[in-house]
Amino acid sequence: MNISLNWLSTHLDLSGKSIPELDDLLTFAGVEVEGIVTKGISTDKIVVAKIIEAVQHPNADRLKVTQVDAGEGTLRQIVCGAQNYQVGDKVPCALPGAALPGGFTIGEAVMRKVESRGMLCASSEIGLPPGEDGLLILPADAEIGKPVREMFESDVLLELEVTPNRPDLLSHRGMARELATLLKTPLRPLEIPARATAPAAGGDVRVDAPAACPLYTVVRISGVTVKDSPPWLQQRLEAIGLRPINNIVDVSNFILHELGQPLHAFDAAKLAGGIVVRHAADGETFTALDESTHILTTDDLLIADENGAALALGGVMGGLDSGVTASTTDILLESAWFTPPGIRRTSRRTALSSDSSYRFERGVDPEGVLAASHLAVKLILATAGGSAEETTLVAGQAPVLTRPVTLDQAKLDQLMGGSISLTDAGAILTRLGLTKLAVATWQVPSFRADLQRHIDLVEEVARVHGLDQVPSRFQATFVPASPVDAAYDADMVLRRRLAALGLHECQTIKLIADGQLGDALPLRPLQDGDLIRVKLPLSEDHAVMRPSIVPGLVASAVRNVHQQAKSLRFFEMGRVFRNAGGGKARDQESETLALLLSGPTGPAGWAATGRTTDLYDLKGVLISLLGGREIQLSPRERDGFVLAADIKSGEQNIGVFARLAPSRERELDLGHPVYVAELDLAKLRKLLGSIDHVTDLPQFPGSTRDAAMELPVGTPNADIEAVIRKCAEPLLVSAECFDLFTDPTGVKLSADRKSVAYRFYYRASDRTLTTEQVDAAHRKVLDTLVAKLGVKFR
Amino acid sequence: MNESIGSIQTAALAQIAAATDVRTLDDARVAVLGKKGTLSLAAAGIKEVPPQEKAAFGQLLNAARTAITAALAEKQAALREQADRAALAGIDLTLPARRVPVGSLHPLTLIRDQAIGILRRMGFALADGPEIEDEFHCFDALNTPADHPARNEKDTFYFDSGKLLRTHTSSVQIRTMESQPPPLRIIAPGSAYRRDEIDATHLSAFNQLEGLYVDREVSLPDLKGTLEYFFREMFGTSTEVRFRPHFFPFTEPSFEIDVKLQIKGQTPRWIEVAGCGMVDPAVFESLSQSRKDQAYDPEQVTGFAFGMGLDRLAMIRWGIKDIRLLIENDVRFLKQFA
Repeated sequence: MNISLNWLSTHLDLSGKSIPELDDLLTFAGVEVEGIVTKGISTDKIVVAKIIEAVQHPNADRLKVTQVDAGEGTLRQIVCGAQNYQVGDKVPCALPGAALPGGFTIGEAVMRKVESRGMLCASSEIGLPPGEDGLLILPADAEIGKPVREMFESDVLLELEVTPNRPDLLSHRGMARELATLLKTPLRPLEIPARATAPAAGGDVRVDAPAACPLYTVVRISGVTVKDSPPWLQQRLEAIGLRPINNIVDVSNFILHELGQPLHAFDAAKLAGGIVVRHAADGETFTALDESTHILTTDDLLIADENGAALALGGVMGGLDSGVTASTTDILLESAWFTPPGIRRTSRRTALSSDSSYRFERGVDPEGVLAASHLAVKLILATAGGSAEETTLVAGQAPVLTRPVTLDQAKLDQLMGGSISLTDAGAILTRLGLTKLAVATWQVPSFRADLQRHIDLVEEVARVHGLDQVPSRFQATFVPASPVDAAYDADMVLRRRLAALGLHECQTIKLIADGQLGDALPLRPLQDGDLIRVKLPLSEDHAVMRPSIVPGLVASAVRNVHQQAKSLRFFEMGRVFRNAGGGKARDQESETLALLLSGPTGPAGWAATGRTTDLYDLKGVLISLLGGREIQLSPRERDGFVLAADIKSGEQNIGVFARLAPSRERELDLGHPVYVAELDLAKLRKLLGSIDHVTDLPQFPGSTRDAAMELPVGTPNADIEAVIRKCAEPLLVSAECFDLFTDPTGVKLSADRKSVAYRFYYRASDRTLTTEQVDAAHRKVLDTLVAKLGVKFR
Repeated sequence: MNESIGSIQTAALAQIAAATDVRTLDDARVAVLGKKGTLSLAAAGIKEVPPQEKAAFGQLLNAARTAITAALAEKQAALREQADRAALAGIDLTLPARRVPVGSLHPLTLIRDQAIGILRRMGFALADGPEIEDEFHCFDALNTPADHPARNEKDTFYFDSGKLLRTHTSSVQIRTMESQPPPLRIIAPGSAYRRDEIDATHLSAFNQLEGLYVDREVSLPDLKGTLEYFFREMFGTSTEVRFRPHFFPFTEPSFEIDVKLQIKGQTPRWIEVAGCGMVDPAVFESLSQSRKDQAYDPEQVTGFAFGMGLDRLAMIRWGIKDIRLLIENDVRFLKQFA
């Protein structure tokens, strides 16, 4: 909301208050100052100067060298490029040191080898509304040497943000009332002319919707002349950024910003009979004065005439044909109180909003409805002539929205930490317009319907008293860690491990595009209906709740590749979303960890091996993440991916592993194979759990035996491991694959065979094994491999 | 005899000096000091030396042995050093490193962890709740009127189910109080969503940190002390903190918190960092109805709540000018946090 300081000053004395002081005052009253715009000239160093002489600049065709009299006793030489003046004219002259609105300060300069001691100014250069091209020519009687500022009205525009609980501040009078409270200065009295009122009877006004419109007043003014408003009124409106329209409209806009009460003027000639305030018929159409047409519901409120023609959407906007025009002679001036929720619903439904609906939906002062009408009548008669009917017709009555509220000493002390006495708190309430009814009971004024409860009064006291007056206290209590704490700590361990393994943590948006769903790698494949879509997405790019983090990481990979990033090592942790059963069951949120590796294994360099990341790198990262615990990849097809597998830790499935389909990698221009994994965080956290107790170190040495076996190239390594495991040789501690040999040319080894070398480690916990014992155990293992897998030992 | 010891010594020293590696040096040692070495044989000859010359001969012999042993040790050290140097020939310390990939934590993780760390020291425990929320927990229970603008489909993401993406983490306050009686000291970091077009200062999904303290006699001094301490821990112990009155439906009185910070190259200014307030009694009333008990009787308990935007804190902390950098995951940005 815009507030003009000059306008505000008609309500209270603000002299001696600096703008920063007012800014602070409003800020600490809970009114956010979003902008301060100074209008007019703000310096005394721009003075009236008379041009005594102007000669051609010796070194520049477009410049003249002037001698001006700025009332200093001697003439001042100034180089000037303007063409619009005559010698003898009086113009604004900025003296050295003058700060101009453009943010620069005038100094003495040499322009093309000619000294220039100041600047002759155009209106826009000194903060005045732009005028004709060239210098601002001042009246001939302007006093030489006098600050130009004194000849033009200056003003300050305050751009304020008022919180929704304070509709009483949405006017100059309301803001002045608040400032008067804070400054402890009196408010200037408001002169509201007295007028007679009479209950509306029969034909003139009929309210068929009293719940939505408890109070409706109207007064007829005849014989008005619609024309431009007088300058003072135009200036007031222009000062807060409004465009003057005509005297009738301008008066109602003035009243709205003066008192906060919206008014509406109808052209009486366009009405058939009296005014009827009624709900719209279902499907009734209404064309607003902005020419938009709306189909209404029975919840919307119309101001209509007796023929049923809709004149205005009550409290929101006038109709296209009922308003005041240049030919209007008789008007009906409405001032009413509409129930806020109804106005808000209509405004939302129709997407129509106005300064009126903004105030009605927050709640205007019911006791101010008639005062606003009376003041408007006076101003209309003064600016448009004509005569008003003797009485203002009133239908219904002002609703009573406030009631006595208690301010309890004990609760006040408790909440404020004893920082304010009940007497001082009472003084604050009194300044705010409340009246003390009994020891602790206060009557709230009609314009403060937001004060309904004890806490509301405490809030006012705290606000005006200020939190800087309240002591700071800190008391700690012991709080046990929650399961969420435990999960958080485990996640931070995982994050730090991944960063130490050279991965960058990413953060992607949880709303993704349909086109990204093909990259999703959820823990369980999706069924139809499992996806959760927002109803009204901002764009197609953010339409679906992500069922998996991988699509976000793939998109990040693509963006980085476009930026010439080489090695891509990413992870992200967070929630994924799906319906548990094709859209019919519960929406589930679970937490996962996703990883993506692609491109060179490390930074390039003189000593780099230049290897491209492969699936074993990602497998290695996963094992390191689990502190060296083995995982198994158990192949399971996934659409859109190759090499897809379940990630198993022991018998437990903990996630999914895959490479993007090479065709998708090409489509995205990724250039290298992209390996991804998505893991169930809840399970990972459990795997991180600390050990129960340590294993004793072996007391006796063990022995190793190496063996290279030949077998079909297609036999998975897991088969070898499974056979070794099943063989359950008690002396075998570990078996590790340390070499793999294939020869596609078939020269050294048939192309359909591979040679796999394992190192077996044998040890007993209670004795040193003899060579014979080790050999026997080893033989048993090898025999089992031959028997179960048909391998050949070389 | 004496002359022969002199010549043995001369020859031995020459052989030691001529040794070029450990093996030839060892040969020289054996040739002189070995069982059949020249000096050992000469020493054996002491039996034939006349008794009156034995002492002088012995001295001569010892002197020769000492000199030869010292020469051997010296040569051995020189050879080791020479071999060590040879082993390092051609190695250039100034060549670039063999780099190991360096990873990083996301700035939001860093700022969240710092904030959580401070608040945990102050006795807050973590809590969480769903991001797909119902209107009750996101709005009704937080004293937000049915026709409040935030509930509009233009401002909030809704689903066909009638649920919505929570617009603030304040819903976790309700979820936690529903299941736990006071006293309660919780913090809830998490995502929240608003239907804002994405630009340099807005994301449709952002990260918040919510806090709630409910007990008997929780007061404005508690709120003030806690949050002043928090922001001074966060931004430096001398940071100025101020509380501006504001309005939120679920707290009263409500405040916005500014801290005075100096961003490099600018004059210090007040920057808004959080919202807070005393829990509105209406929230406790609604809660008492849904809990069907009086654990949160507004006549008995009071509390304060606060919420802050972690994205904003990260932007302030590191001078990040465009919020989109926080979701674009450009490696050139991320690696600065390694």
